[in-house]
Amino acid sequence: MDELYEAIYRGMAPKAKIAVQASLDAAKTPQDIIDGSMIPAMEAIGADFESGKAFVPNLLLSARAMKSALDILKPLMMAEQTVTLGTVVIGTVKGDLHDIGKNLVASMLEGRGFNVINLGADVSKERFIEAARENKADIICLSALLTTTMGYMQEVVEAVKEAGLPVKIMVGGAPLNAEFAAKIGADGYSSNANEAVTLAKSLLN
Amino acid sequence: MTEGAFHINPADLPEKEIWFAMGYKDTVPEERIREMVRQLRDRLVPRATVRYMYDIVPAEKLSPRRMRMGGVEFNPEGIICSYLDGMSHALVFVGTAGVEFDAAVKELNAEGDIVADFIADSIGTVLAEASVARMEKDYTGEETISMPYSPGYCNWNIREQHLLFSLFPEQPCGIRLSESSLMAPEKSVSGFFALGEKLVRQPYHCEICKNKTCYKRRDAK
Repeated sequence: MDELYEAIYRGMAPKAKIAVQASLDAAKTPQDIIDGSMIPAMEAIGADFESGKAFVPNLLLSARAMKSALDILKPLMMAEQTVTLGTVVIGTVKGDLHDIGKNLVASMLEGRGFNVINLGADVSKERFIEAARENKADIICLSALLTTTMGYMQEVVEAVKEAGLPVKIMVGGAPLNAEFAAKIGADGYSSNANEAVTLAKSLLN
Repeated sequence: MTEGAFHINPADLPEKEIWFAMGYKDTVPEERIREMVRQLRDRLVPRATVRYMYDIVPAEKLSPRRMRMGGVEFNPEGIICSYLDGMSHALVFVGTAGVEFDAAVKELNAEGDIVADFIADSIGTVLAEASVARMEKDYTGEETISMPYSPGYCNWNIREQHLLFSLFPEQPCGIRLSESSLMAPEKSVSGFFALGEKLVRQPYHCEICKNKTCYKRRDAK
């Protein structure tokens, strides 16, 4: 297994930076480095999480290592006009200030190649629409941790549809489930950050 | 109404409880993560002043889904009510990791380390729970005391937190309750212990609850 894969899988950001530089020095292209080592490492840690072998901190450490490696590659990728998997606008809905789960999803999406616009918490439907429009978003991710605020998700979904934006909408948060997502007209629900990445990818295919 | 505040020596905040809040149910995290937990615990916990407030009020179970505490009717649903046979009083409470801890976490958040943020969130959960443990320990009455129950858990609608707060003075322990029933500081808890001579203290029966993502769940991975 190559060092970059290992560094990202094990969540070692300093080692990931060194390894990514070594890969560039070996004349690999940013896209080859990402596709050949970085994405497979993130997929491996995600699979370990799904099977109970890894835990949230492992996911986060890997995402952090991925981000540090991407920070080196991104300027070069822009020069090559390499595109991301898609743009995601993410936020915790109005009335709810819980940030941590949503930030976890944002990190994982970023780590797996999405361009992520994180709007923070207590976000109104108008702000979601404005950000999705400004950034030409492919997906809007809505988070809520309270049963009292999950209802607002439906308002966001309806407002986005009314605005005619060509985006998919994903929802997540402790009190939610797939039935609720379907009921409010969202395109998908995920119960954890790793699943959110899989869902986001499938929505764009 | 009884009110209190205390500090916790970082070393006295059990690492295992922090790990549990982080999702490690029966697993010990790897050393690197344990070290991060220790470092953040040592940094954040000295900043915290944990606060609590409680009152002991008359209480009774009204039906398989309803109860009355301090003259106010609640609908905590079937799971919680199944534990309340024999309840004659309730110790209603609020507790918080405190505004100082909240400020320390915000400073940490500004550093932009998602791993640290996640661990700090879990430490806050354990601090807030420590206030509940303190209140239980404070109770020296002769009646049997139940496990603590809170709006938002075990199918109890979180909106009833407003009813619960009606039993306390305005902003108890500095806790503000939003219209959406969100407490600020975020790491705050509210709820009650049932009390009664004929009450039988029962463990949580998580296996009958449909909330698979509850962080307190004991039968999930």
